[in-house]
Amino acid sequence: MTLAPSNPPQPLAQLPLGDIIDRLLRGEALLLDGPQAVVEVVGVLHSYGIVLDAYSRNLIYIADNTFLQLFPFFKYFNGQISLGKWLKHLWHDRINYEYAEYCMKSMFWHGGGALDHFVDSPEFRRLARTAIAAKIKSNPLIQGIDRAFPEFLLEQVRQLAYYSALGQFWRIMSDIFMDLSAAYDHGQITQIPDVVTLIQDGLVAAAATPVTYGVEIGGQRYDILPASANLTFLMDTAVPYVEAVFFRGTPFPGTISYNAQAGQVPVAQERFSYGALYADPLPIGGAGIPPTLLMQDMRHFIPPYLHEIYEAGLRHEDDLLVKICVSFQKSMFCVTTAAISGLAPHPLTSTVPEERSANVAYLTGWMERLSHSQIRAANGQQP
Amino acid sequence: MLLSCLIGVPLVGAIALGLLPLPEQEAKPARLGALAVWLVTVGLTVAAIAQFNPADSQMQLLETVPWIDRLGLGYRLGIDGLSLPLLALNVLLTGIAIFATGDKIRRPRFYYALLLLLSASVNGAFAARDLLLFFLFYELELIPLYLLIGIWGGDRRGYAATKFLIYTALSGIIILAAFLALAGLAGFQTFEYGPLLAFVTGMDSPLGGAGLPLGTQVLLLLPILIGFGIKIPLVPFHTWLPDAHVEASTPISVLLAGVLLKLGTYGLLRFGLGLLPGAWHAAAPYLAIWATVSVLYGAFAAIAQGITNGDMKKMVAYSSVGHMGFILLAAAAATPVSLMGAEFQMIAHGLISALLFLLVGIVYKKAGTRKLDALSGLFNPERGLPLVGALMVLGVMASGGIPGMAGFISEFLIFSGSFKDFPVHTLMSMVGTGLTAVYFLILLNRAFFGRLSDRAVNLPSVSWWDRAPAIALAVPIAVLGLLPSLLSVWSEAATNSLAAIARLGIAG
Amino acid sequence: MIDLLLKTSWLVPCYGLFGGLATLPWSTRAITRTGPRPAAYLNLMMTCLGFLHGAFAFRSLWGQPAQSLTVPWLNVGELHLSLILELSPVSLGALELVSGLSIIAQVFALGYMEKDWALARFFGFMGVFEAAIGGLALSDSLLLSYGLLELLTLSTYLLVGFWYAQPLAVTAARDAFLTKRVGDILLLMGMVALSNLAGSLDFTDLARWAPTAHLPMWQATLLGLALLAGPVGKCAQFPLHLWLDEAMEGPNPASIMRNSVVVACGAYVLVKLEPVLSMSPVVQGVAIALGTMTAIGASLVAIAQVDLKRALSHTTSAYLGLVFVAVGLHQSDVALLLLLTHALSKSTMFLGVGGVIATTTCQDVRELGGLWSRMPATTTAFLVGAAGTVGLLPLGMFWAMYRWMVEPTVPRWTLLLLLAVNFLTALNFTRVFALVFGGVPQPKTRRAPEVPWPMAVPMVSMTVVTLLVPLMLERWQLLLSRVTTVTEGVLMLDVPLMVALVMSGAAGVALGAWCYLRRGAVRPVRLPIAAVQDLLSYDFYIDRIYRLTVAAGVGAIAQITAWIDRYVVDGLVNAVGVAAIFGGEGLKYSTTGQLQAYVLVFLLGVSGFVAIATLSRGVMPF
Repeated sequence: MTLAPSNPPQPLAQLPLGDIIDRLLRGEALLLDGPQAVVEVVGVLHSYGIVLDAYSRNLIYIADNTFLQLFPFFKYFNGQISLGKWLKHLWHDRINYEYAEYCMKSMFWHGGGALDHFVDSPEFRRLARTAIAAKIKSNPLIQGIDRAFPEFLLEQVRQLAYYSALGQFWRIMSDIFMDLSAAYDHGQITQIPDVVTLIQDGLVAAAATPVTYGVEIGGQRYDILPASANLTFLMDTAVPYVEAVFFRGTPFPGTISYNAQAGQVPVAQERFSYGALYADPLPIGGAGIPPTLLMQDMRHFIPPYLHEIYEAGLRHEDDLLVKICVSFQKSMFCVTTAAISGLAPHPLTSTVPEERSANVAYLTGWMERLSHSQIRAANGQQP
Repeated sequence: MLLSCLIGVPLVGAIALGLLPLPEQEAKPARLGALAVWLVTVGLTVAAIAQFNPADSQMQLLETVPWIDRLGLGYRLGIDGLSLPLLALNVLLTGIAIFATGDKIRRPRFYYALLLLLSASVNGAFAARDLLLFFLFYELELIPLYLLIGIWGGDRRGYAATKFLIYTALSGIIILAAFLALAGLAGFQTFEYGPLLAFVTGMDSPLGGAGLPLGTQVLLLLPILIGFGIKIPLVPFHTWLPDAHVEASTPISVLLAGVLLKLGTYGLLRFGLGLLPGAWHAAAPYLAIWATVSVLYGAFAAIAQGITNGDMKKMVAYSSVGHMGFILLAAAAATPVSLMGAEFQMIAHGLISALLFLLVGIVYKKAGTRKLDALSGLFNPERGLPLVGALMVLGVMASGGIPGMAGFISEFLIFSGSFKDFPVHTLMSMVGTGLTAVYFLILLNRAFFGRLSDRAVNLPSVSWWDRAPAIALAVPIAVLGLLPSLLSVWSEAATNSLAAIARLGIAG
Repeated sequence: MIDLLLKTSWLVPCYGLFGGLATLPWSTRAITRTGPRPAAYLNLMMTCLGFLHGAFAFRSLWGQPAQSLTVPWLNVGELHLSLILELSPVSLGALELVSGLSIIAQVFALGYMEKDWALARFFGFMGVFEAAIGGLALSDSLLLSYGLLELLTLSTYLLVGFWYAQPLAVTAARDAFLTKRVGDILLLMGMVALSNLAGSLDFTDLARWAPTAHLPMWQATLLGLALLAGPVGKCAQFPLHLWLDEAMEGPNPASIMRNSVVVACGAYVLVKLEPVLSMSPVVQGVAIALGTMTAIGASLVAIAQVDLKRALSHTTSAYLGLVFVAVGLHQSDVALLLLLTHALSKSTMFLGVGGVIATTTCQDVRELGGLWSRMPATTTAFLVGAAGTVGLLPLGMFWAMYRWMVEPTVPRWTLLLLLAVNFLTALNFTRVFALVFGGVPQPKTRRAPEVPWPMAVPMVSMTVVTLLVPLMLERWQLLLSRVTTVTEGVLMLDVPLMVALVMSGAAGVALGAWCYLRRGAVRPVRLPIAAVQDLLSYDFYIDRIYRLTVAAGVGAIAQITAWIDRYVVDGLVNAVGVAAIFGGEGLKYSTTGQLQAYVLVFLLGVSGFVAIATLSRGVMPF
């Protein structure tokens, strides 16, 4: 993650989003606390947990079972192919797994972390080559293509590794969000900092969970991401994921021109700011706005207590996706708070002056990145 | 009796609504009553269409009741292929107006009574076969319309309604003067259309005489042109129209643009071209210039509204000025093709402008503004008005003369029929068609494309009840565009006969 | 059965329309709980049905004379308008090309647009788009063709503006509509004039009428120029070419259609109008001049483009310029051949471009590079498409160009034009290939897995088709009746010509490779004179010229009109009349106090009666 170096001490009020730094140092979250905020965040994370569960299962299924298949027609079926399911699939009555792939591609494309380094290593190349050779040994056509385009299959294997890695990351996130929902149902969550704490605890607990990937070809197992690569949940999937999906993202064709001469898309990927924390929720549901898929998936799992709030709006169900997106963005600021807090050099509420100034410097780096985000809008403030 | 019923039923309905002891503040009973009356008129219209013989160019469904014989005034009704489609259009748009009226209207009984009165008088004007009777209905229609603008209008309704009243009352008086003068020249024996035409042309005239000299005809034509020119409206008599539209409520705008302006063009065709063909022929080159000026003026005025982020409704109103100019061009050429184009344009413009005003009305109702600078991104499917936007695309494309919709047929027929006589004017008018695309694209791009404006991020839902009237108008626009002969069969005999009358003017 | 399929082949374009209509439940959001993909499947299915229907009709018509279907449409006075369809091998072949490319583009879109929730609307537009183009292929009446061209203008507007919240797409859609509309209005003027002069708008009648018309030269010239304007706009020819560049803001699957068959529509109508145009040598001269200017100018502009899609779209203008020249020289068959080969190879290239954009989220050739080893289907599609578009290898365009140049009547300077365009295009494609696929991976191309099958299958299919074009030309030589066939051309074996063609292409490739592929090449290459480079990369500043002339002019006139309206026309009225009489306090109407108004109205009404009564007493003799 690219974080700004420490700055000389400055009064908080002069810093970008200084009021938020102040709040964070007092143990509060990026998102302002309030009863409706809690309902929105927990409710939307409940449905997000369910959707992530489906996404993660499918990503792992694709990585494990469609290894280098040219025509994975039924990749979204998780191996359960039946006429009824196929008809439902044709009727588009299904989870939009395309969004999971979109996040995976985004993460793959932006890179970062040890996973990104590992897939470029000779070790990976050797492992992948072995698996590729096993897979295509009886297919002269593909062998020919492989010889002419030597990186073609390797790149596909790299992508499959990311399929699996994101699947494993989301597996854990889904469980955390479902735990949160259960805790809320038991009355243990009453304010936003509770949400943050629960998520942060979940992240910390899973931090060292290894990320591995291997496929079975012809009855034999081939490691792609071996345990020896020491890839772990927090630093090698969570952090690159937050960077790629929360912060950078990819420009939506529905709002940004790709025209090279217009220069709307920055040259440097570090300067991309199209991620979940930046995106304008208003165009959701329109043309060329990929997160619509996620909101659409979540709409089926909105808990009744949140649905009531949405129903009470001026447009009732008509603008459901926008409302879900607004709530979703709020919840993502809670997740981000948990990540910020978890990665901080010292506990944020520390009153030790040196620790506090280190925290301020650390937070200032974050706030510079968040200054153009939707945090003000999520808090119902003027930007 | 059919035609009398078409006038009488809404008239009686209006009186009944006004007098019956319905609850004053509740809109529903009055609305249902108006709908019931409207349904009966629909049935009567269908019956009239069924009895109408499209092959006959003469007036049909004749009714004659001597009235004030001493004045030559008779209650003489009849319709031909020129007036039948307009009559049907009026009935259709009356229904649309009733449907498009909101539930929370003030003084509902009075409102619906006036609406029915308006419908009755317009029906009467289209069915009148007697000059004076036409004039009476033409005047009668002013009162309800004036009140509908003046009571249920916007902030400056008083100004707009008065301006409308002054202009159109003036128009009526000028027309009356011309009618009286013509009847007077014919010895005040009758105000009936047929004999008067014969008197003017001097052919088989029961009133005697060898026809009216050209100079006299021109003197009579001038007030008719100005009178109906105000009503149509043609530049420079048009300034009441944008004001009236801006202040009028949506259903009233629909009726005003949809049918009431057609009284002007109808009058011009029937009592200008159709009554004074000689003078018409002499004036035709100037009329063509006038038409071209109107077309271009309307278009440029609408563009100005667009580039200065003006009012959407004003833009549509100016577009009406331009589009009505096409009819004058067609009338000036007076060939069978151009006159069919004129008839087609009256119907097409009636449907299209009604659709556009309805849609602008929905935008206004939901967003609370019609200003182009306050609106953007209304295509947004979640929070905007996407279906209204889609219908708006259809409406403006129809208005801009994109083939497949009714507007193209009328414009093509008008241009094709007028080209031979007035090539330059026709080409200039076609530039006007091109300019239509310019301002309507400005409207679409500003109001519907882009990010939803902050002002419009939380609009109320649009229900299918809101959309239904617009869809009901969109369908005939497309159907007539694809199958124009559905309309042309009814009017062909009449427009041909009108063209024949015009040729009398050339011969004479 | 087969006969029935032939008789009903007018339905083929309608399939697309039905498909478009079938998307309505999703595009109008009547269905929101489930996704829009069924709309896409329905549309695709209808297109496939249309393709099969057309294929059967094509087979059954093979070797038979052309047939024509007439639907009487509107009769008014002496104007008899019919919708006439011509069923000939050429028209049905064109129809099949349209349906086939539409299938390709739609399957591609299933992958390319998979994350777009407005998929139903996109496929609906594509259906209408396809119906309009297919209808144009069959149409044998100028009226119908005009109508369909306008429908095409409309659907271009909608497709380019598909991403309606993207500001550049919005202006692009507007400009596309307006520039095409300028051409359309002029065409309408020509058509109206023609309907008066010739009395018919059927192409067959017009072809019969034109040689015997003997119009005054100025009339024939004006008429021809007006008719020429429509195709100029549609084919993105100078000076109405700027829309194609901007239209690249639209989704790529639509760009595939736009750069192949849509631009061809204008040229197709031009070919049909050729007898009328040839009434005036001036018109032919203008067609040739515009075509030449566009061919050279757009080829140069294309080389200066940094945007991947635009670098290719300008070459489309250039090739359509060649088509204009061919039509101007009365070589309709060559024109059709150029259109066919260009459509196939250019759409293959655009498929490859789509693959690149989908993978890298980038259209800037300066930020791309090193893709070849990881994207076999994309690389091959681009390469084969490029090879098929320039005259170098014996693929489609080589034979089309060769076939043109062996024509004995062709003037010598066209060979120079052709060689120049070929050279410049080869240079441009080599440049783009080197920047995008060659070299080392850039940050944005570091992770570039090949696209999934819904995009790869159309690419590979079109790659194969492009490779097979020479065989198809050889086999379907009957397509191009009247003149010497390709094979006969080959038999003539004009070796110097072949060498010249190959050399011009090879020189372009060599120069491009030297500039961009050699070790240590500076990327991007700057021309020595920056002003020239800017002039080319901004397309001769044509959009600015339009803004300062036409747009500013219309705006100024509008403002003047508004001023006159407000201060002269209305001001006068208000000053003299209304304000004076009714502006006073006494007549301020509120909702409750309407009394004065009622009085006024009734007074006016009654005054009418009084007038009558007075007159009748005073004047009437009885």
